[in-house]
Amino acid sequence: MRTLRISVLLLGLFIVPAFAQQGGATYDLGINGLSCPFCSYGIEKEISKIEGVEKITVDIAKAVVRVRMRGEMTLTEVVAKKAAKDAGFTLRSFAPASPK
Amino acid sequence: MRLNRAISMVLLAAALLWPYRAPAGPISFNSALTLSSGEFVFREQGVLSQSGDDPSGADRDRRSIASLSVLGYGVDEDFSVFAVVPYLDNRLDVTTNGERRTRETSGIGDIRLFGRYVVVRKNWPARAFRLSLFAGIEAPTGEDNESDRFGRLPASVQLGSGSWDPFGGVVATYQTLDFQIDGQLAYQANTEANGFAFGDVARADASFQYRLWPRTFSGGVPNFLYGVLEANLIHQGRNHDQGTDDVNSGGLSLFLTPGLQLVGRRWIFEAAVQLPMLQDLNGTALESDYVVRAGFRVNF
Repeated sequence: MRTLRISVLLLGLFIVPAFAQQGGATYDLGINGLSCPFCSYGIEKEISKIEGVEKITVDIAKAVVRVRMRGEMTLTEVVAKKAAKDAGFTLRSFAPASPK
Repeated sequence: MRLNRAISMVLLAAALLWPYRAPAGPISFNSALTLSSGEFVFREQGVLSQSGDDPSGADRDRRSIASLSVLGYGVDEDFSVFAVVPYLDNRLDVTTNGERRTRETSGIGDIRLFGRYVVVRKNWPARAFRLSLFAGIEAPTGEDNESDRFGRLPASVQLGSGSWDPFGGVVATYQTLDFQIDGQLAYQANTEANGFAFGDVARADASFQYRLWPRTFSGGVPNFLYGVLEANLIHQGRNHDQGTDDVNSGGLSLFLTPGLQLVGRRWIFEAAVQLPMLQDLNGTALESDYVVRAGFRVNF
């Protein structure tokens, strides 16, 4: 029983921080018009202006931008659409990738 | 003087070939792509222009080294503004009355200010099309009345034209992950200053950029290496000097420009050589031998 308690405690010590490092909500934004490395900086810059954005990852071949939010912050499709437009692109799709 | 002035066409043609483009694209002319809202781009390019093969018998040899600094800003997603500041080092060797003379000067040239506006925008997955209009002015910021011990320098050696010269055109870009095609039609109206005006310039340009590396993608945003081939068809009217046309100026030129471009998220390194394929010039106008370009761009 004591061994079990210690095991659960250790598991908690490792698992909880691991989940905490995942950050907040994550979204996949399909971006039309994204077709060169130099252009990708434009959409990254626009999305980084959104309050609460923690991390941005671009997959240029799939034309998808993954956005991870900080803490309890969320991203709406309207805000994502405006960021894409300001960068000169078009939001093709918007989907939560891994809800918190 | 008149003879030397004839080669001003080469100078002006080289000036019009100055790049003023921000995102990845052609090396020797404009593109339809604009910056995103609030984005800056800085571009620096060194240009070596060599002209010789003088048909006049004066054995003229002209060399110009230019350092072009370009700053661009995206006002919004459709409209971008640019400023091009050239620093020039011009030199002309010419034989006059049996004496070999070197005429040279260096300093800031004529600054170009212009805006570009997207009129057609189409976006697809990993593809984009833009049709843009651009218009601007070349301001007389370069010295146009410099002299040396032989007298006033010929117009082809002066740093500036002395005139306010408007220009404009239309440019289209189709970009995919594998390649990019750009095409441009442009016109510059050169006005008179101190009784002299360079001939107006009309030009048509095309560029094809093909991704050589990486051949396949494995996620993220890798750097791209493009092979570039461009063509520049340029027509310049005769210069106008003190009320008469200079019959030894102006004409038609066609350049082919192979090059390489390494493109990252925040920077571009590029180099190209412009080679004259056709030069149907008026009278004894001096022909271009080659133009070498190398530089970089960063966005922020």
